Amino acid sequence: MREFRVLFKPQGREVSVLQGTDIMTAAVKAGIMLAAPCGGEGVCGKCRVIVDKGKVSAEVSHAISDVDRQAGIVLACQALVESDLEITVPGESVESHECLSHDAEDFAGGVTLRSEEAFRFSPIVRKVCLELLKPAAEDSTSDLDRITAGLKEKVEGLRLSTKLANVKHLSEVLRESDYRITVTLAYKDGALEILSFEPGDTTASSFAFAFDIGTTTVAGQLIDLNKKSVLGTKIAFNKQAMYGSDVISRIIYASDPEGLERLSAAVIGNINEIIGDLASAHRINAGEACAVVTAGNMTMMHLLLKIDPSNIRKAPYVPTVSVFPVINAAEAGIGISPRGAAAFLPGVSTYIGGDIVSGVLACGMADSDNTTMLVDIGTNGEIVLGNREWMIGTAASAGPAFEGSGLACGMKAAPGAIQKVSIDKNFEVELSTIGGVPPRGICGSGYIDLLCQMLKRRIISKDGRIDRGMDSGRIRKNGANYEFIVAFAGETAIGRDIVIQDDDIENLKRSKGAIYSAIIALLNKVGKDISEVKKIYIAGGFGSYLNIENSVFIGLLPDIERSVYEFVGNSSLAGARMALMSHEAFDKAVEIHKGITYLDIGAEPDYMDEYIASLFFPHTDIGRFPSVRL
Amino acid sequence: MPVEIIKERYNAPVNTVEIGRPGAKQVKIGGQTGFPFLFDEGKMPNPPVIAYEVPDCTPDDWPEGLLEPYHDCVKDPVKWAKKCADEFGAEILCVKAQSMHQDYGSRPVDEAVRIVREIADAVKLPLIVVGCGDDERDNEFMPKLSQALKGENCLLGLATQANYKTLAATCLVDGHFIIADSPIDVNIAKQVNILIGDMGFDTNKIVMHPTTTSLGYGMEYVYSIMERSRLAAFMGDKMLAMPFIVFVGQETWKVKEAKDFGVVQGINWEITTSVAMLQAGADLIVMRHPDAAGSVKRYIAALTGGVR
Repeated sequence: MREFRVLFKPQGREVSVLQGTDIMTAAVKAGIMLAAPCGGEGVCGKCRVIVDKGKVSAEVSHAISDVDRQAGIVLACQALVESDLEITVPGESVESHECLSHDAEDFAGGVTLRSEEAFRFSPIVRKVCLELLKPAAEDSTSDLDRITAGLKEKVEGLRLSTKLANVKHLSEVLRESDYRITVTLAYKDGALEILSFEPGDTTASSFAFAFDIGTTTVAGQLIDLNKKSVLGTKIAFNKQAMYGSDVISRIIYASDPEGLERLSAAVIGNINEIIGDLASAHRINAGEACAVVTAGNMTMMHLLLKIDPSNIRKAPYVPTVSVFPVINAAEAGIGISPRGAAAFLPGVSTYIGGDIVSGVLACGMADSDNTTMLVDIGTNGEIVLGNREWMIGTAASAGPAFEGSGLACGMKAAPGAIQKVSIDKNFEVELSTIGGVPPRGICGSGYIDLLCQMLKRRIISKDGRIDRGMDSGRIRKNGANYEFIVAFAGETAIGRDIVIQDDDIENLKRSKGAIYSAIIALLNKVGKDISEVKKIYIAGGFGSYLNIENSVFIGLLPDIERSVYEFVGNSSLAGARMALMSHEAFDKAVEIHKGITYLDIGAEPDYMDEYIASLFFPHTDIGRFPSVRL
Repeated sequence: MPVEIIKERYNAPVNTVEIGRPGAKQVKIGGQTGFPFLFDEGKMPNPPVIAYEVPDCTPDDWPEGLLEPYHDCVKDPVKWAKKCADEFGAEILCVKAQSMHQDYGSRPVDEAVRIVREIADAVKLPLIVVGCGDDERDNEFMPKLSQALKGENCLLGLATQANYKTLAATCLVDGHFIIADSPIDVNIAKQVNILIGDMGFDTNKIVMHPTTTSLGYGMEYVYSIMERSRLAAFMGDKMLAMPFIVFVGQETWKVKEAKDFGVVQGINWEITTSVAMLQAGADLIVMRHPDAAGSVKRYIAALTGGVR
């Protein structure tokens, strides 16, 4: 088989591939990550590229209009290389590696929850400098016993352990350093494990990382354990996205051992890039960092640790592991000190993972006398309700609409995403984008605003259909759908109209209905009224902005006193940071994971009824939304 | 010790709907304040009414035994209507304008309108008119029909969640009542009512079609949906306080138990289904066989103390 050269512009990268390779694979080889929410199935039409020179073979795709096809536009995942090629990659087809935005970064890093002070500072990994007495004729205790005795004076009376590999060179280290050494200790299962011995006093350099591994985004933070502070935060899109946008398609991809290997490598790549970037930005040596604490959903944790995730998607939906052992960072390929510790927040069940346990920890729900609620608005809308006495959790299949996936012009909360919208009575649209740049698409918070405004202007009816009879240049028919033009081609960065269609609204309606009805069904299950919930924490990948008022208006959230709501952004990352800074917080997370009862909401007899009732704006039972005037 | 019989009482009545030209014959349904025939618990001022179904072209899919009573008028819908009125004592007719459908020969819309107008002139009874089920054809037909029957205060349908605007707008202009259709779901029933109301249509002029079935095909589910809907109305939900219309004839005569075992069983099947629907709260029952319709009328009269 012949080999051809493929040149990607504007990146200017060239690779050699075999004839018949798809352009998506060639792009990966060239280090260019194309958007592929459908996992390269040729369905979503997001990986459009332009063939400038050369020949490709591709089946006719409905995702590309005739005009575009004439212009040489193909789907990278479907087009096969048949000659040397020159390919132009349009900006919107590239999966952004950039930070989501400065706002998002500040927000994810800056959110400090009140409960953060609740745990004593005693990081999960700590360095202790010992100055030991030299052995003598009258004091012939072994080197290790000498260290143990020294440690007993400095740390609380926990059992100490270490590994053989560690002590092999101990005598050398001790004598070279004149009995002044630094011991790195990790809390593991109620005991302290000596991770390493280093000559001299290295306690001045005491860094660690906290991570949240989401299906869509990966967020990491560099923490200075001496200063007890966050030095920086970095967010990137999960590189596994090129193998499928949702957990199910990734679990399927992982069913082949090579696939599992690739998925793990992708996310470890994310982690190590963030570690590298943060380390160089703050002029520290990543190899000296001593710990990483990670929170993520069940599938993400399995894939990261290369644990077979296949049973997660098969009834009765059992994960392989819910409480993950603390391991050496090197075992997972995480690029900090090889003897550094990697710890993972425990999950409850397939549907309530370590990210949610982490969020519950961060919001202090398990220490509160008041009944509070955490709602994580994502593809799986996880909801946890309870107080220090009891906790119950569920997950609603909300779909990825609020993450901008599966919608005609949807996108993640990244630069160019429309995140605020208002529409005046002449249907003139005013919008603002993340980063203030020309729009490329619409993200979840933008869709919430948009729905609210379209309802207020009666562009859509309460069941979400665009008014066919309305006289506006922004409303038009497109196939079986009607669509409303949010931004005309000339105003955008993509040169195409940005629209919202009937089908998009239907998707969003189902998403909001799934979350609202799960909230209500969960309350019904425990016999509580929403008025008994003193605080509702809203988490999710909305970037820095979520309009609670508009969320209530469309019926996503119950119509109650707005001050009950608190938008906490990435509470999973906050919880991971807390678990890193205090092993007591980590222990608390283990306690929380045991204390949350999982409820399969779909099996509740009244759930379906609640769900259908919520497929309306704001709700079929308008009496539940007294503040909404439509 | 005397046993106290617990009586449920509700405050909110079902809407009263009066179909037909004022001054001419009219039919009044709804207005009840409790579940059917429980006269100790609530009032039932307007007993349920039977409407006779009149197809606007030869109904080839009706079994022979069912067509027999109409043998002399199967090709003439006006004559069929007059027969129902004069011979069978119908108080209200339900014209099914199916001839426009391609399955029945795609009769031009104007001609279909003319036939219904002729029926109205011939029988002087209140009319229910339902379209052929093809949204495009019905959206062309209903505005013309509505205008042609202006002043007759007919009940027109079906308005579905996917196609209600044309019909609601036209009924609003010409003063007709509307049938709001939903697929055996309380929430969707309510949503359609709200949507029609949002167009400025008076929700007191809506009659709900909850979608029903025949005996033996899931009646208990239909029953529970109608009961829940009605209970919500009695508890004060104005958006569910509409009377029910059910098409028993259409549902019954398509099942094998009614079609294939002789006309007597078919008639009994239609009667039994209707009686169950009455217990579920139906206010207006559209029936096909005159013997079945007659029996159900006598049943209603017996239960309501011979009001009619």
